Amino acid sequence: MSTTTDVGAAIAPRRFRREIPIQYGMAALVVVLVAAPLLPILYQSILDGALYDSSARLTLGNFARLAETAGFGGVLWNTFLLALLSTVVAQLFGTAAAILFGRTDIPGARTLGELFLWPMYLSALVLSFGWYSIYGPAGYVTVFWQSMFGEAPWSLYSIGGMAMIAGVSQAPLAYLYCLSSAGMTDPTLEEAARVAGAGTFRTMWRITLPLMMPAIAYSAVLNFTIGLELLSVPLIFGEPAGITVLTTFLYNISAASPRPDHGLVATAAALMLVVIVFLVWLQSRLLGNTRRFVTLGGKATRPRPFRLGALRWPLFAICAVYILLSGVAPIGMLVLRAFTSFLSPMVPLADVLTLENFEMLWREPVYARSITNSFIVSLFGAALATVLIGMVALIVHRSEFRFRGLVHYAALFPRAIPGVVAGIGFFYAFALVPGLGGIRNSIWILVIAFTMRFIPTGLGAVAPMLLQVSPDLDRAARVQGADWWTTTRRIMTPLMRPALVACYTVLFISFFKEYSTAIFLFAPGSEVVGTALLQAWIQGEVGVVAGLATIQVFVIAVCITTARAIFGVRLHG
Amino acid sequence: MADLKIEGLVRRFGTVRAVDDVSIHVADGEFVTLLGPSGCGKSTTLAAVAGLDRPDGGRITVGGKTYFDSARGIYLPPESRGCGLVFQSYALWPHMTVADNVAFPLTLRKVKTADRKRRIAEVLALVEMEPYADRYPHMLSGGQQQRVALARTLVYQPSILLLDEPLSNLDAKLRDRARAWLAELRTRLGLTTIYVTHDQIEALSLSDRIVVMSAGRIAQLGSPQDIYERPADPFVADFIGTTNFLPAKVAALTGGVATLELADGQRVEVTADRPPVAGSRVTLAFRPEQMRAATAGEASGAEGSVIATRVLSRSYIGGRWQVALDLADAPIRLETEVPPTGDELHLWLPRAGCILFAGASNGAA
Ligand SMILES: Nc1ncnc2c1ncn2[C@@H]1O[C@H](COP(=O)(O)OP(=O)(O)OP(=O)(O)O)[C@@H](O)[C@H]1O
Ligand SMILES: [Mg+2]
Repeated sequence: MSTTTDVGAAIAPRRFRREIPIQYGMAALVVVLVAAPLLPILYQSILDGALYDSSARLTLGNFARLAETAGFGGVLWNTFLLALLSTVVAQLFGTAAAILFGRTDIPGARTLGELFLWPMYLSALVLSFGWYSIYGPAGYVTVFWQSMFGEAPWSLYSIGGMAMIAGVSQAPLAYLYCLSSAGMTDPTLEEAARVAGAGTFRTMWRITLPLMMPAIAYSAVLNFTIGLELLSVPLIFGEPAGITVLTTFLYNISAASPRPDHGLVATAAALMLVVIVFLVWLQSRLLGNTRRFVTLGGKATRPRPFRLGALRWPLFAICAVYILLSGVAPIGMLVLRAFTSFLSPMVPLADVLTLENFEMLWREPVYARSITNSFIVSLFGAALATVLIGMVALIVHRSEFRFRGLVHYAALFPRAIPGVVAGIGFFYAFALVPGLGGIRNSIWILVIAFTMRFIPTGLGAVAPMLLQVSPDLDRAARVQGADWWTTTRRIMTPLMRPALVACYTVLFISFFKEYSTAIFLFAPGSEVVGTALLQAWIQGEVGVVAGLATIQVFVIAVCITTARAIFGVRLHG
Repeated sequence: MADLKIEGLVRRFGTVRAVDDVSIHVADGEFVTLLGPSGCGKSTTLAAVAGLDRPDGGRITVGGKTYFDSARGIYLPPESRGCGLVFQSYALWPHMTVADNVAFPLTLRKVKTADRKRRIAEVLALVEMEPYADRYPHMLSGGQQQRVALARTLVYQPSILLLDEPLSNLDAKLRDRARAWLAELRTRLGLTTIYVTHDQIEALSLSDRIVVMSAGRIAQLGSPQDIYERPADPFVADFIGTTNFLPAKVAALTGGVATLELADGQRVEVTADRPPVAGSRVTLAFRPEQMRAATAGEASGAEGSVIATRVLSRSYIGGRWQVALDLADAPIRLETEVPPTGDELHLWLPRAGCILFAGASNGAA
């Protein structure tokens, strides 16, 4: 070339490679974050005294004591039954919705599908309050029913009632998995059946549904796991009726107990952990199978929808009623309650309209603080977590780091740590390590715990998009002389921006809704909306509950709409 | 600039030996092409040189600097090697303009702003892309993207240039133009270059030497003429250009001229560089352009032999005819300006220039 100055092709090798401390540091951070709640629990479960008591000795006695605890067998049975029933409900509704909205010519399929997903964005806690206001003992529908037909045949304060709420809030998961499996199956399989003379419903029953089976099985295990971990619904409806499940049992003997028996708490938590780890392992096995099934002829052709014929509008009506009764009405009523002093079919609405509930939120420091804290935790915590997750994704998928497999495993492990277990575990961890007292009583312990909880969720948002960025783009930078860290900053980060925005949105929502971990960790001054909701509920402040719930629903709705409109973020599928 | 030495390179993926004991010495300023069918290990070899992939064994040195040595445990990361690599996908960064793409390697080398500007302008002029400096990659055509990718690599004067099928994403017309342009650029720059392709025309027209690879091994290494005119085995003969194969038996051997008996008893005489054993089975290989339809009444002589074949089909391919012939179940392809009439065609084969491979083979094996 005609150039005179020689830039020298090779860059002198750095004496020290910057990626080494960064990659090892991130790996250590992830491992510590995930191990922090687990090790203290496992250790405490084999101690005869409190973890911080230096005279405690190793024992296996806790397991025997737990087994002998009065009513523990009943607790396990209730837990199993609730998880099973809510899974059945979720799978029934979810699968039916996936077939109806995804595979038939039902009117307004897109809108119905969108509305069907609503409960997924809300916390089960808020949904529970909504259901209470409609189907509770003094709920709108209950009162209406009583005035017409006498005693209402349902009760939310039963396993069946709880399973109904939990099922509705988990149905969107089943829906999404079945929908994506339906989108991937080879449409010619159905067409072949129809050509062979099978009618619409026979084809659905004999071909479409069986092809969805792997997705149904996978999401069933997923929903069963979520059912086991569920705290809010049994806390609100189970406890007053004397129905205790494992999560509320844990809550009662730890956070709600004046002098917790730490050996027992840790052992019960460890038991729960073992069960969930097994179920998550089962999920990953099934997922492997799902892939094997659904991608079989997977072509990009859009399957032709089934024609419902005369049933089109009747089925539409049924779906609309379901969506109205399960989500729209409960949430609508909760919002309405937030703007009124009292709500009853007997009193005209205009007489009770008020902003008093929100003034109360503003006036009472606890509630005002919980809202501020939730915003800080969600805005900043989610940002920190997004940085961490982005780095983890890059290390796992775009580096030669020797332990990247291990990092990946550790980063996905929190799927197997229930919120209550994480809460108890972090509580122990911070009690155990001296010098962390400052963090223990601040919202930062929540940021740390939430981050750990939602690493897999964030990775789920980042990884697929990251994998779509051609590896040639970062290899090109490496060959030209950029080390891993420069490549990460200058090439990968800008290319990953949409993935990071999606990750941040999902984390913001998750952090804003989270309560099960927080219940075990918050202190006066570090309340968040979730914990304040529960406190207000326990104190019978229905107006405050409605107000806080309304704020939560509103913030999440705004967040989702903004992310969709401005960044075109897809939050699922 | 420097020479490149690859010695005993091995790369395994599970049980597959993607690169199996490959040794190549590319002299300073030489242009060597890796040629071979898909999956034969060309990209893997290139990635090993660039440092994108750690081989399992062997040694790679460039201008005396060791990039990789499995025996001594040396493995330089890609950023410390100073190679230039142009990807098949071009790998232009979509979030940067053409100028920013080209500036990136200079920024890494802390080249001062004024100098950097000048160098970017120079290299963009070299690839005739100056007017496009402020465009983003998605606003460029495939051929223009390829030039930017090349500019981005040339701008930091790499010690060796590695090109992985840089023309394969272009349409046929553009490809011809880009090839001519690349050939001109190559003589101007004189960089030590490894060029990967599975297009034989690119390989023959651009290279000083060609390495034909097959299933991770080197099938033949030589100049384009060597490879084309003296292929080492039926695989190379078949892969480079069109080759007809005829199974035969050596009937007689007199003074460097072998008389072959074809499967149907017809006889052909050829001179052989490496005389075969009398009575052994051989395969006669020859290019379509070496033979022609025999003129009426022409007979075998000292220049060549005439053999009778059966016409299977003829198709017009623009200016010429492609004729499929059959000789005792061996297929022969002939291109001719005059289409044959009738079912029989007599072919004339030269005595010199044909190749004999030992054993029965149809090239595909
Ligand atoms: N990461 C990998 N894991 C497993 N096998 C691989 C991997 N990369 C390459 N291979 C295998 O190694 C062999 C050589 O691959 P390579 O990419 O070098 O082929 P190639 O000659 O460049 O082919 P092409 O002309 O199609 O680009 C192939 O059989 C390929 O399947
Ligand atoms: Mg290749």
